[in-house]
Amino acid sequence: MMDFLNLIPVTWLPLLESVFYALVFPGFIAILLLAFFIIWFERKAAARVQMRYGPLWVSKRTGGIAQLLADMIRFSFQEFIVPEGADLIPFVFLPGFLLAFSVLPTLFIPIGPYYSHIFPAGYTLLLSVAFTLVIPVYLVVLGWAADNKFSFIGALREAYLLISYEVPFILAIASAFLLYGTLNLVEVVTIQERSLPGIILNPVAALVFLIAVIRATGRVPYDIVEADSELVFGPYVEYSSLMFGFVMGVPYIELYSYSLLFSVLFLGGWAPITGVGFLGGLIIPGIVTFVKAVIVMCALVFLRGVYPRYKLDKAVRAGWSWVFYLALIALLLSAFMSRVL
Amino acid sequence: MTQEIKTIPFTYEALSQLKMSEGVLELQIGPAHAGSGHMRIVAWVEGDTVVKVDPDIGFVHRGVEKLSEDRIYIKAIPMVERPSLVDTVNANLGYVMALERLLGIEPPPRAQYIRVITAEISRIMSHLYGIAIYGIFMGSSTVFMWAMADREPFIDLLQELTGARITYSHIIPGGVRWDLPKDFAENAEIALKYLENRTKDYEKVWINNPVVVARSMGVGKLSAEGAIRLGVVGPNLRASGVKYDIRKEEPYAAYEEFDFEVPTFKEGDSYSRLLQRVEEIKQSIHIIRQALKRLPDGKIIYEDYYKRMSPLMKKIYDEKGRVKFTLMLTSLSPPKGEAVSRVEGGRGEMFYYLVSDGGKAPYRFRVVTPSFRNLPFFTHVMPGHKLADIPVIYGSIDYFPPEADR
Repeated sequence: MMDFLNLIPVTWLPLLESVFYALVFPGFIAILLLAFFIIWFERKAAARVQMRYGPLWVSKRTGGIAQLLADMIRFSFQEFIVPEGADLIPFVFLPGFLLAFSVLPTLFIPIGPYYSHIFPAGYTLLLSVAFTLVIPVYLVVLGWAADNKFSFIGALREAYLLISYEVPFILAIASAFLLYGTLNLVEVVTIQERSLPGIILNPVAALVFLIAVIRATGRVPYDIVEADSELVFGPYVEYSSLMFGFVMGVPYIELYSYSLLFSVLFLGGWAPITGVGFLGGLIIPGIVTFVKAVIVMCALVFLRGVYPRYKLDKAVRAGWSWVFYLALIALLLSAFMSRVL
Repeated sequence: MTQEIKTIPFTYEALSQLKMSEGVLELQIGPAHAGSGHMRIVAWVEGDTVVKVDPDIGFVHRGVEKLSEDRIYIKAIPMVERPSLVDTVNANLGYVMALERLLGIEPPPRAQYIRVITAEISRIMSHLYGIAIYGIFMGSSTVFMWAMADREPFIDLLQELTGARITYSHIIPGGVRWDLPKDFAENAEIALKYLENRTKDYEKVWINNPVVVARSMGVGKLSAEGAIRLGVVGPNLRASGVKYDIRKEEPYAAYEEFDFEVPTFKEGDSYSRLLQRVEEIKQSIHIIRQALKRLPDGKIIYEDYYKRMSPLMKKIYDEKGRVKFTLMLTSLSPPKGEAVSRVEGGRGEMFYYLVSDGGKAPYRFRVVTPSFRNLPFFTHVMPGHKLADIPVIYGSIDYFPPEADR
């Protein structure tokens, strides 16, 4: 492997690494494989709580893990229906945009100590957060474009929740910045390696981050935007065929990006493993980061087995009251801890 | 969200002439909607606040009353069961009681006890179903699956007794069709124990869940006066603080011989309606235990009917404890007159009215089901709440469209 890398001009390496990042790991292919696992896990875990089997008959020996593949095949043979009054261009293209933008943040989250992208490494935290924040805007447009009252209400709910939970989220990111004093995620992990993981240094910020993630990805109890018994999947109500598969997959990919960011910011990323080369510097630390992220994801999707749905006005009030106060406390805690560090 | 009852007259004309301001969105929730059931709820929302609700019912009208008029009396039994599919025993019991009053017969005590046992099992199943629907309307698939699955031991019990899982048609004029199997008491005790143990799980995950409390406490409040004025019945009435239960007010079957409480709650909100059902399940368990302990011996069919059985039928009855449909049962023709019966079903008071002209089929048959009586919740309680409260109130009143449509 090293010989192969030596043949490539050195100036190409950052570009190649970016392509590897985006397409293989932790990008596209890893996400596809993970989507299989996490959707299967969510359904199996909920089924275990609910005294039933969950997916079983598609590849019975592996416990039905290929169910998603079967679903996708079924989706792809369905007709894609565009409602009469729908705004055609946004309606057709936004699911693809959503999918792309939900994958993009992974490009800026380093999974190993040697991060040499074509993108400025000093701003990785800022860039990854910025790209996660684009998605809700598209969701609002998507809800409006479908020309359906329920999707419109879903879009409005998304807008309300977006505003009330983005502020605590940004404050949690800000307190992480204050804590580590850098926007470079590689340095963030180095600092955590030297001292303690961020979740111990500032547990409040981690909590606020997780609440905002549950909100942003529409996990229970914050599945207010989708709300199947009120709005029948809100902004996505008019989608059929593969497009439905896309828009249903977006929250999981978002969840993956956020969890990766969480594992780097608060769980110490690839610490305590560091090495050199393609294998020791990228793949093994990458797997460590990845496993931490998957554990976070599993914990978050498990909430579905426990909680019912929260209400819009109460969620907005919570976002502006106790979640916001917690975020402020996290900021103060960070200011204190950064002195100690 | 204060609890005053809206003073909207309950007629379609008045509702449709109500002046609507600008910026009001009309939502057609149903009939093909995940949160509507077999009905349409037309809701007008201003912002997130519901200003007017018009329930559009009748999508699953089966014509039970009219169909009964050209069938012999006992053929109406499977039909009255159909509308309230999760509470079939009580529907069956109500119709048969009206018929027995027309015929002027009284079933023997053992049959009465068996009726009480099956009716209470049916009530437990109905309440569990209500809790399940409440759960899924609030977005908790866990409670939906749990409560639906926890009906299973009771379905098995009645399956062992009757052979059917949902529509038993077990109660016939003069008694019941099958005697209890030998191990019924033991199996029933196992099922009751199981449900009692499960109550703790429900308390952890559902009843004391902070999200459930936040979403249902204070939502859909109805005062005692309001409940009486709107004429709501059953657990919804009792959750508003009115102590009214047909089993106590006008005891039928063997209910006066049992010692049980009628639980009530003062608040009258969705949360207390949930707790009301849980408490009533506990009382039903208590009643079933008493009935099984004191089950009298004797016939399960009216003495005179037994005497008039053919020797073969008598042999089957003596050996298997099973009443075959004899010619005498299939050709019932009560004397001219009318009769009324009321039973306390799982969802509330069920009312049956039978008129006989001396023929082999009812001249007129009238059913008033509890879900229909609980319909004013839509028009009078929902306005003023948020859009997300519609499924919560709907689920908490345990409204079942086929039952209301009959």
